[in-house]
Amino acid sequence: MTQTIALLVDAYRELNAKKLFWITLVLSGFIVAAFACVGLDAQGLKILWWSFPIPMFNTGTISLDLFYKFVFVNFGAALWLAWAAMILAVVSTASIIPDFVSGGAVELSLSKPIGRLRLFLTKYVTGLLFVMLQVGVFSLASFMVIGLRGGAWEPRLFLAIPIVVGVFSYLYCISALVGLLTRSTVAALLLTLLFWIFLFILNSADAATLAIKTDMAGRLTAQEKRLVRQQAEVERREHWAADLLNEKARAEANEKGEPEPAPAAWTPEQLDAADPTLPNVRGERGRLEKQIEESTDNIKQLKRWNDGFVIAKTIFPKTTETTGLLERVLVSDSDLEKLAKAFGGEERRGRRDPDRPDSDLEMERAMRDRSVGWIVGTSLGFEALVLLATCWIFCRRDF
Amino acid sequence: MSAIPTTTVSTMPWAVDLADVAKTYKGRIHALRGVSMKVAMGEIFGLLGPNGAGKSTLVKILMTVISPSRARGSVLGHPVGHKPTLARVGYLPEHHRFPDYLTGGQVLEFYAGLCGVGRADRKKRRGELLELVGMTRWGDTRVKSYSKGMRQRIGIAQALMNDPDLVVLDEPTDGVDPVGRRDIRNILLEVKRRGKAVFLNSHLLSELEMVCDRVAILVQGVVASQGTIGELTEGRERYEIELGVDRAPIDVLRELSPELAAAGALASGEKIEHTPTMLRVATGDATRVQGLVDLFRGRGVVIRALRPVRPSLEDLFMQAVTDPTTGHVLDPGAAEDRKNGGGVGGQGGATARGGVA
Repeated sequence: MTQTIALLVDAYRELNAKKLFWITLVLSGFIVAAFACVGLDAQGLKILWWSFPIPMFNTGTISLDLFYKFVFVNFGAALWLAWAAMILAVVSTASIIPDFVSGGAVELSLSKPIGRLRLFLTKYVTGLLFVMLQVGVFSLASFMVIGLRGGAWEPRLFLAIPIVVGVFSYLYCISALVGLLTRSTVAALLLTLLFWIFLFILNSADAATLAIKTDMAGRLTAQEKRLVRQQAEVERREHWAADLLNEKARAEANEKGEPEPAPAAWTPEQLDAADPTLPNVRGERGRLEKQIEESTDNIKQLKRWNDGFVIAKTIFPKTTETTGLLERVLVSDSDLEKLAKAFGGEERRGRRDPDRPDSDLEMERAMRDRSVGWIVGTSLGFEALVLLATCWIFCRRDF
Repeated sequence: MSAIPTTTVSTMPWAVDLADVAKTYKGRIHALRGVSMKVAMGEIFGLLGPNGAGKSTLVKILMTVISPSRARGSVLGHPVGHKPTLARVGYLPEHHRFPDYLTGGQVLEFYAGLCGVGRADRKKRRGELLELVGMTRWGDTRVKSYSKGMRQRIGIAQALMNDPDLVVLDEPTDGVDPVGRRDIRNILLEVKRRGKAVFLNSHLLSELEMVCDRVAILVQGVVASQGTIGELTEGRERYEIELGVDRAPIDVLRELSPELAAAGALASGEKIEHTPTMLRVATGDATRVQGLVDLFRGRGVVIRALRPVRPSLEDLFMQAVTDPTTGHVLDPGAAEDRKNGGGVGGQGGATARGGVA
């Protein structure tokens, strides 16, 4: 225990000596202060004492605590903690392992009565302290802001700590491995950032194909609904034309004094002749059928691509989805719909189509359908493998 | 000197008892080739050797920094590589690098903490050892602003923080001024006086000669010689004779006693060597050279100096690293397998240069 405490105290001293640690903390303070300055009233958005009327976005459409949770999740956690602060953390911690294993330093640590595995893992965990402390302070300040300004004391906010630390650890394991192999801070930093960019590209490809597929599926739903209506219209007009032809036949029989004919089965040409708009209506139905066929093919193709990206993502850590878990916890499905309404969704963007489901909402639902086990389990599995390899190298290496 | 722990050590015979320690890198560079040596409790043991002889490799094996290819033996009564034993070992590596965000005092506390030393003991010993190494004034200053000598002093203190029974120091006086060297010597002697063992690895032969009870000379991964300086120099004493003439002493001897000069040895068999300025008689027995002195004095030749000479550690070292067949100093570096399938370059033969420290 004395040894672990010594390592933790040393990690704190190391962080304390890093300027970036304090810069990040100060920036976090500014962001929370800005967070506290923003509010919502009956008219719309309120910044300090200035009010900006927004018809769909006020306390009448969403509650104050939901507003703050939304801002925390989408700006505080997703933008600041998961991106900006994460970059600062990767930069700040890139030197920890290379410095630890550098010549002249590692001999001192290895010559102490502490096992290599324990030594390395403790050092690894202390590397996570940077983010743990940053997110802890940020979450606590945000908790106070939401409680005091939004009136909701939301303890689940502190889930940001394990979630963001988890996301950071996906990247830090790469930094540790490269740092151990090369003993170079620059190499550890660059390769970690490259890995992160790779994950970003993979995630963007998945999100893009999923978004297009979801949009296509929405369009297909609308097309199918229109086809049903068009089919009904065709049938209605055919009935009308048939009735007209039957009426005409009855009138002709009456004029000739012949017995009334039974209703006949009219050919399409006869029906078209009776109702000249029928070909157009049928043509529209045909076009819709063709569109549905094309949409179905496109969706199949997109699904194949998206499945490919999802399989690829299964191997690698899922940074965006892991961060998104915080939103799942803090913003319920019903809250999500409220927010979609408040922000106007596609209607606001001039894509009013009553037949079509809101693609943004559907996309969000599709993302939420991905299981926590898949997101966190496979990501931690990747980290565990990398960490295992790193520990193995550290334990066997001659320094 | 009060900071040196006063606990008495157990009566175990050897602090370090190594047998057949070998280390091969990449399957062909033989850094150590079956090293055997013993370090007793209460003695200062010096390990010397040329660059690449395997000294640091051996020390790192003792400290579990490097795993041996094969090794038998023990450190403080436990097998080599036994981690818990390291709690009783103090170590200062060569070219050590302390975290530059720590102060000198924090360095001592941190590494003592890794050794499992309790908080109260750390606090107490920190002050005592800072005083011992003359760093009290600088204890709260970050090590990044220290000079090389100050870092060495803190390093020595660090190695003593855990009240070790065995202190392993790799080039402890590197970069230290003469006053600091004297201080370090005194510290080592005090550690020894307390009955603890010191394993010293250094290039500074004069330093070793001053403090070491026993030494081992490592050459290309094997122990060339080992023992007390007295044991190593036994039979190698000589008398040097300088004459007050303006000719080479050997020419004078040829003139006075052609037979003696031709034989190159005294009648009793002791070899006579010569340099342009002196004659050397290979004996430590003063009575043996009296005949020669009488010969010169009887012919009125002035004897300017007659002195007994014991070989220095440097002489022993140079002898160990010199190829006896060619008379040339061996190449530095570890022994390496030749690509053509030849054997391992040995002490007595030509070797390829390896890069093992």
